Amino acid sequence: MARILVADDASFMRQMIREIVESEGFEVCGEASDGIEAIDEFKRLHPDIVTMDIVMPRKSGIDAVRGIIEIDPGATIVMCSALGQEALVTEAMQAGAKDFIVKPFKPECVIETIQKALEKEV
Amino acid sequence: MDMAKYRVLFLEEATEHLSEISSALLDLEKEMTNSEAIDLIFRMAHSIKGMAASLDYVPIAEVSHRLEDRMQGIRAAGCVSSPAELALLFRGFESIEAMVRAVRDGQDLVPDPEIAEILSAPVAPVAPVDAANAPERANPQEAKKKLQDLTPVLEPSPSQTH
Repeated sequence: MARILVADDASFMRQMIREIVESEGFEVCGEASDGIEAIDEFKRLHPDIVTMDIVMPRKSGIDAVRGIIEIDPGATIVMCSALGQEALVTEAMQAGAKDFIVKPFKPECVIETIQKALEKEV
Repeated sequence: MDMAKYRVLFLEEATEHLSEISSALLDLEKEMTNSEAIDLIFRMAHSIKGMAASLDYVPIAEVSHRLEDRMQGIRAAGCVSSPAELALLFRGFESIEAMVRAVRDGQDLVPDPEIAEILSAPVAPVAPVDAANAPERANPQEAKKKLQDLTPVLEPSPSQTH
């Protein structure tokens, strides 16, 4: 089953994503609480997919996408956005993110988006 | 999902975030171009909004959203435009803080009908400051004390679980 890196500055959100994806058998191989940590953990863990919050300290999610794509142009990254962040989601997709999920999370949407993003990778 | 667990997490993180917002507002009071403080309030409001929306705490999500939007504008402008605008930020902070306390105490969330509208309203640059007519805002020391009262987080109340 796919290994997932969860990047979000809110522990609340990391736990929620973890619970949703683990209930479907995915493995959360690591967590990151800012953009710099997300890039470092990506290098260290080589996850199959990254869920990336947009608004994070030190380095934004969009800049972290750019950093990860620079390391691995084929990396699979799904953005976690809130309503009203459409422009930022577009920017993230242009930077290399494959798709996005909207907060508040609906478990079925999270799973479907992750599965589709992984299929695109194949 | 065990929403009681997330309620506790929300109270922990929201309380920390409010404490950081409080400090950042005091920093902005000293220096209205403090970009770190502006950025921090933006991120904290965004984070509280996301958590509150996940738990269906709609009034908290709404005010946090307005505060986040206001901070986005301030971020783009590079500074808080006036003491009156800073007072609005304090007002938004106070409103969120009161609602988080209501969640902690197991009370119903009562939306503040004015605050969302006030936070969305444009603020004309004011100079010089007319302290007598400036909107009332929280006493920083009082706000800090309220935040201290929020910790430690109490056990979840069954009436607040979804």
